[in-house]
Formats: sequence, C-alpha cells, structure tokens
Amino acid sequence: MAAASRGGGGGGPKALELLRALPRVSLVNLRPNPGAKKSEKRRGRGRHGGKKSGRGHKGQRQRGTRPRLGFEGGQTPFYLIIPKYGYNEGHSRRRQYHPLSLQKLQYLIDLGRVDPTQPIDLTQLTNARGVTIQPLKRDYGVQLVEEGADIFSAKVNIEVQMASELAIAAIEKNGGVITTGFYDPRSLEILCKPIPFFLRGQPIPKRMLPPEDLVRYYTDARNRGYLANPSNIPEARLELAKKYGYVLPDISKDELFRMLSTRKDPRQIFFGLAPGWVVNMSEKKILKPTDERLLRYYSS
Amino acid sequence: MAAPAWLGLLRAARSYHAPPPRRRPGGVYRPDPDDPLAPAWQLEPAYEAKLYGRHGSASGVDPARLWPSPEKLQELQAEEREWFPGLREMEAALDEKEQEEERQRVEREKLIAANMAKMPQMIEDWRREKAARKEKEREDKARRQRLLAEAQERFGHKVDHRSAKFQELVQEMEKKQRKELKLKKKQLKEEAKKKAAAAAADPEPVPVSAGAAEPA
Repeated sequence: MAAASRGGGGGGPKALELLRALPRVSLVNLRPNPGAKKSEKRRGRGRHGGKKSGRGHKGQRQRGTRPRLGFEGGQTPFYLIIPKYGYNEGHSRRRQYHPLSLQKLQYLIDLGRVDPTQPIDLTQLTNARGVTIQPLKRDYGVQLVEEGADIFSAKVNIEVQMASELAIAAIEKNGGVITTGFYDPRSLEILCKPIPFFLRGQPIPKRMLPPEDLVRYYTDARNRGYLANPSNIPEARLELAKKYGYVLPDISKDELFRMLSTRKDPRQIFFGLAPGWVVNMSEKKILKPTDERLLRYYSS
Repeated sequence: MAAPAWLGLLRAARSYHAPPPRRRPGGVYRPDPDDPLAPAWQLEPAYEAKLYGRHGSASGVDPARLWPSPEKLQELQAEEREWFPGLREMEAALDEKEQEEERQRVEREKLIAANMAKMPQMIEDWRREKAARKEKEREDKARRQRLLAEAQERFGHKVDHRSAKFQELVQEMEKKQRKELKLKKKQLKEEAKKKAAAAAADPEPVPVSAGAAEPA
C-alpha cells in the first residue's frame, strides 16, 4: 500500500502489478521475527551429564520439593497470625462499575468512534470498544469519572450508570445532558450486545427497577437520576452551575435540542425501542404485540 | 481538543455493523420432533424463536409464539409481584427505615443529654465520698497509732498490731469504752427522768424552762 501511495503519478499500475505478483501474507508464510524466539536451555546434556545441572547439592533445592509459599516449617505462619477484618466482606457480590473518564470519552469522540450527534449510551460505548462490560462478572455498567474534566469540550447527551459531581458539571458546562440510569444484569447484557439478543428472536424485556439501596441515588436530581422528578432537574443544573461558577448554556435554543432532550423511559432499554417489541434482523422488521394483556404487562 | 465542526460533518462516526450471519446450505434446518436423536434443546420454544430471529418468516415459525402465552404471562406477573416491589413501595420502606433510624438516634441523644446533665452532681458526690473515705482512713490510722502507743506504754515494748496480746488489749479497751458509754447514757437518762419528775412536781415549769433555755 505504501509503495502505491508513494508512487505518485507514474508508478500506479506498476505498483499494482508488483503487489499482485508478491505473495499474500497468510498463515503459511508468517514466521516470528528473527530473535523473537529463544530455544529452551536443556541442562545436563552431552558432556555436562552426570553432574548436578546447576541445582546444587541434595535436598529440597535439588529435588524441587520445597514447602509452599508462606509455610514456616510448622510454626503458625505470619499470614494466619494476623486477624481477619471485614474490609472485603461480600466483595464477590459487590456491584462493579467500570470507570469511564471524560478524557477517554473525548478521545472516543475525537477519533470518530462515538458519534456525539446521537444520544450516547452503553450500546454506543461498547460498540466503539470504549468499555467492556461483563454482566456475568457483576459489572453493572460504567461510572463517569472526572479525569479530563478540564479538557472535555464535547456537547453530548450521555447516559451512564453513575457519575461524579464534577463530571456532571463538565458535561453540562459544554451544553450537554447527562442521565444516570440503572440496568439490571439481564437488561445490561441486552444493551451491551443487542445483535446476539435480536438473533434470539425474543421480545425486548422491560428494564427492572433498581434495588432498594440504589433507589435514593436514582431518585435524586443532583445525581441526574433517571427516576428523579424531571421538574427538579433544571433547578439542580442551575445549582451545580452556581457551585462550579460557569454559565449554564440554554439547551432549549440549541440546534440539537431534540437530540439533547431525548430520554429513555425508566422501563426502556434501547432508544426508540419499547419493551415487548421483537426486532428481526434478517427481514429488518419490528414486530409489536397487540394482545391487551401483553401490552399491559410491558407498559407497567 | 475537539475536532472542528466541518470535520465532524465530513467524517461521520464509524457506525457499528454486525457481522453477517453465517450461510448454511440447504435452507432452514428444522429439527424433527419424532426423531429420538434430536437434541432436547432444539424442541423447545426458545429454539423456535431463535430460528425466527435467524431466518425471519422463512423459518415457518408463527410470530405470535414469540411472546409468552397467557399462562406464562400470569406466571411472570406473579413472580414480579412477589419479587419486585414497585418504586413507591420501596420508597415507603426506605422512608420508614430512615424514620426509625432517626428516632433511635434522637432517643440515644436524649439519653446521653440526660446522663450528661446528671454528671456534675455525680462528680460532686464522688468527690465528697472520696474526701470522707480519706478522712475516715486518717482517723483509723490515728486511732491505731494511739492504741499502739498505749500498748507500748503498758507492756513496755513495741507490739505488733496483729499479735494476740494487742488484740486482747484492744478488745478490753473497747469493752471498757462501751461500759463507760452505757454508764453515761444511764446517767443522762436518770437526769432526764429527774428533770421530768421535777417539772411535773413544779407548778410553774415555764419560767424554769425559759430560764434553762436562756443561757443556751
């Protein structure tokens, strides 16, 4: 490719010919770089046999039967003398939120991996390979952290699972909108991997409400929670602007106002798709239920 | 840091494209339910839905079967009612919990305030008790010293306060003291009796009592 581009005006067809003639890079002609591989040292071979092969004289050292790490020859070892304390109590059941810094978000936007003219949620972030969410490993989404708050300059409508105060301020200072929303593990899996889910041919489930200990977080307008009263949010935005000393841009006069004011319903997983709908990828069709009971179940 | 606006227009964000599904020759595979070798998981409704998701209407699956049946729906609803409380219920439970915590905190603070109000008086009592205890100790010590001195005087040599001799002496002295006390009491009683008798015999007790009261 490089040869073709360097050829300028004259060398085009020739370079193409050369490229065609050269063998293709494939598994059969790939080999490690010279010096990348080092053959294993084989001890005690040839004229060096019959000796100790560099392992010293007798005992556990020579035979490789040393006791396990931390074993102190039968005396109560140090790691058992120190009492346990519950700092890590329940660590295997705690909810994990991957950090997403404002710097990384700006990077993704600058590289065109995330489109800021559309609402950003976990689907966009995972498709941009910005974050990797594993709901089966107790991941519950991402938290927006404030690293890079000073250089962040994009106007976005973003939905994350948790956000620090300064991160919220940095987004809103640039005329953006941020919402924090909870996804139960099943909805999160669907949100992060929509296409495998659509290929399963199942109706989109409704998003579950947060557990009781997170209700206060998501009903608080200061956290821009998705369950907060929407009429409290402008007030909270103004308050934050006052606290950090910036002028809050008026988003209602923005050309992207429609995009910026897009919000998901608390029961909705995808933008533009309601719970209960079936998305068929092969026919590019959306099937909606018509049964009253189903409609009632999915809308509640 | 941000790209200029015209650049954004030129270079739209790379949109995600799912890889195309793998093509299999021979059309849609449908498992034969009568075949004993057909895997059990292929005979379930989830597999039918999967076939529909993969091939669409070419799979021959009735799309109405993609949604839960009325019985299944009732099950789902019952499960949701049992395990997933509504937002208002959770908020009410939280409110209650917080109120209970607040109540307990206020109660504890009240108890602490009441006990702290009692504190100066308690400290004062303790100081007084301590002083009294010290005073008593000092008196005891002085008394023992006196007794020991007396014993030395009597026996002519130093006596150990634990010795039987000394104990005897102390008991004897105490007995004597008690006797003296008794005698004194008796005398006092007799005097009082006499006085009462005199007062009863005397026709004018008032001036006597007044005269007796005056010098005191």
